[in-house]
Amino acid sequence: MEATHEPGTWKLWLEAHGPKLLLCARQWTRSLADAEDVVQEAFVRYWRHQRHLPGDPQALLVTSIRRAALDHARRNARRAAREEKAGGGLEDRDGAFEPAPGEDADRRRELEGALQRLPAGQREVLVLKIWNELTFEQIGETLEIPANTAASRYRYALAALRKELNPACHG
Amino acid sequence: MDEPLQELENELKQLQPRRARARWLEQINRDLAAELPAPPRPRYATATNLGSWKWLGWRTTAAAAALALVATFGVVTLRRPVPAAIPAIPDSAAPAAGPAYEPVAASNVLYDLKDEGAVPGAGEAGARRVRARYVDTYTWKNPRNNASIKWTVPRDEIRVVPASYNPN
Repeated sequence: MEATHEPGTWKLWLEAHGPKLLLCARQWTRSLADAEDVVQEAFVRYWRHQRHLPGDPQALLVTSIRRAALDHARRNARRAAREEKAGGGLEDRDGAFEPAPGEDADRRRELEGALQRLPAGQREVLVLKIWNELTFEQIGETLEIPANTAASRYRYALAALRKELNPACHG
Repeated sequence: MDEPLQELENELKQLQPRRARARWLEQINRDLAAELPAPPRPRYATATNLGSWKWLGWRTTAAAAALALVATFGVVTLRRPVPAAIPAIPDSAAPAAGPAYEPVAASNVLYDLKDEGAVPGAGEAGARRVRARYVDTYTWKNPRNNASIKWTVPRDEIRVVPASYNPN
């Protein structure tokens, strides 16, 4: 993310990569609004204090987002418990993915639903691998698990999705 | 990974995460706006102003260059045989102590002026970046022997100027 190292260019970068980071944050937060808060907090912190650090900025940001999400969850634990008791705040009404022209909307919703039903540990690995394009090593560092465990969870997640999705499309 | 899983992986990669809301991007824009460097004040005084701070640096450089020249030419003079016909210089004619080379001229030539467009994140007021390209020339002279040193150096100057659109 060399572009973010120059003043002003971060905006273009965030427009391009922000959606992936938000999707990632949504794995660890209770709503889109919370995800926006933690990505904002992590990105501003990254820009102010970490942008000159060596390494892959995307991986740094994802780690920073996860920490921000954990902090956010701790701060809001009481409110979250109330929301959970009331049955709200667990999911967003909007979908996580952008409708594409000419796409099969039912299929998109089906994939999205199957993703939501995955165990959290598998889903977060899948999101980090597919939409944030991290390596298993980077995922392992972010989630504080061995890289082999990340790779296993990824395969389990794909297998579980395939099992749940309409077999007409996938053999 | 077997083929069906590969297909599923490719299908998932086709899904694009939902776009970020403009309001959210604007919020971050506001948070980070303070990080952008403040627009520089328009500079009307250039290096031609002999009292400017730049001349302190140039004078130091000039003094160093003069010392180097004196050292070099001084050695050559000692090695050169003195013709018997040239009268010896009386002591009273010895130059006074002080810097041999003095800055006598500075000029800058503007050879390119380019509007580089709007500055991102400049806030509601708006600003444009203008790049001016100069060639600066500085001249030092030694009054004792009229030797001179000329230094030519390119310089880019970027100004961020407030800009607003007035439809009237």
